[in-house]
Amino acid sequence: MNYNVPEELKYTKDHEWTSLNEDSATVGITDFAQSSLGDIVFVELPEVGSTVTQGESFGVVESIKSVSDLYSPLSGEVIERNEELEAQPDLLNDSPYSNWLIKIKLSNNSEVSELLPSSEYVKLQTEE
Amino acid sequence: MKKTFLYEDHKELGAKMVPFAGFSMPIQYNSVKQEILSVREFAGMFDVSHMGEFFVQGKQTSQFIDYILPNNYKDLPVGKALYSPILNSEGKILDDLIAYKLSDERALICVNAANIEKDFDWISSKAQNFNVEILNESEKYSLIAVQGPKASDILSEELALPGIESLPTYGVLESGDLIIARTGYTGEDGYEVFGSHQKIKKIWLNLIKSKVSPCGLAARDTLRLEACYPLYGQELSEELTPFDCGLKWTVKMEKDDFLGKESLSKVKSTKKLIRFYLENGIPRAGLKIFDREDNEVGHVTSGTFSPSFKKGIAMGLIKSEKKFEEGDLLIDIRGKKYPAIKQKKNFIK
Repeated sequence: MNYNVPEELKYTKDHEWTSLNEDSATVGITDFAQSSLGDIVFVELPEVGSTVTQGESFGVVESIKSVSDLYSPLSGEVIERNEELEAQPDLLNDSPYSNWLIKIKLSNNSEVSELLPSSEYVKLQTEE
Repeated sequence: MKKTFLYEDHKELGAKMVPFAGFSMPIQYNSVKQEILSVREFAGMFDVSHMGEFFVQGKQTSQFIDYILPNNYKDLPVGKALYSPILNSEGKILDDLIAYKLSDERALICVNAANIEKDFDWISSKAQNFNVEILNESEKYSLIAVQGPKASDILSEELALPGIESLPTYGVLESGDLIIARTGYTGEDGYEVFGSHQKIKKIWLNLIKSKVSPCGLAARDTLRLEACYPLYGQELSEELTPFDCGLKWTVKMEKDDFLGKESLSKVKSTKKLIRFYLENGIPRAGLKIFDREDNEVGHVTSGTFSPSFKKGIAMGLIKSEKKFEEGDLLIDIRGKKYPAIKQKKNFIK
């Protein structure tokens, strides 16, 4: 199966995507992630003002039968959360790249170098 | 890992296969939600060939089955089936099963896949004083469940046998090497069809052409939880008597004797089964249940998001003395406590 992997985004091995914008970043889950999860029925996101840490869980996404942690691609403070997903979690299935989860103000810009470019993320998918 | 006869057909349909009770079984074909809705709105089918089939035959079949089950088999008419737990000598639940009365001298017992050997050994060991023969035919039979409001129309047309449509709930009929029962595990009207591997495969393939959706174990588990049916290993176990988990109605203490009766007459129930939903969040198996004073009083036995009820729904076991009315109990999900809302009926009606 071929999954959509936009070239302009950065990725993690945990199947989150990041769009970078100077000292802030937008975070979501990839097409591969939403497809593996199946029908998404619940999303739990951190409060605005809380801090997230690279590689650590910042929330959960649930399908009918499963619970999966969301792992933060970068460290920083949550400046926005996508409240729309609380009422309509299935938006993540419909369009995973336009329905972001949180926006972060970065606390450590050097972490960006650890993210994967799209070419490497595509490779990682084919291994799974 | 064992495979059912339909294994290759599941793979061809793109099913995700998972290990379950020693078998590689389809957990889902495509969308779990669509599979669930197909059963509620049209018709879906499940390969449940992993389940166990025992045949009991001989002059004392009725007396014997009545003795091994706490429910009343002796007075069941021929052509009807009976749900019952089967108990060990301590009155604890060894398994739950359906016994089908095919004739006065022949019965089919369908048991959970994980318990086939345990059940067969236990039942066989109790047969010495009865004129019966017990056969484990689990490997010779395939079994599919066809469930949903259109199941009756579609299956009647496919099988073209008399009496399918008019078969009552929990009715069973035998035709050639097929055994057809109006039973199921979804809360919808429907049938379970036992037969030879080849014959069941043919029916399965024809039903796909008739637009019956193949459904996996994930849909099956959610459907049974929406209907509030217990599952062995979740709500039911060898730790519990039928009085602890909502199965008192299956125990006929007025019967002369049955396996486990003596112990049951002495025990008090220590737990009770509750059903509830959450306004927010999804309760999952294993989560702890607390009272208002922050005492742990039980745990969630099964939980899921319900596409039919559109909320997180669950069953749980709590200490029998605990009250559960509005606002008495809280479910701990990742450190946050959510109030459980009592559900009196099931989640579909």
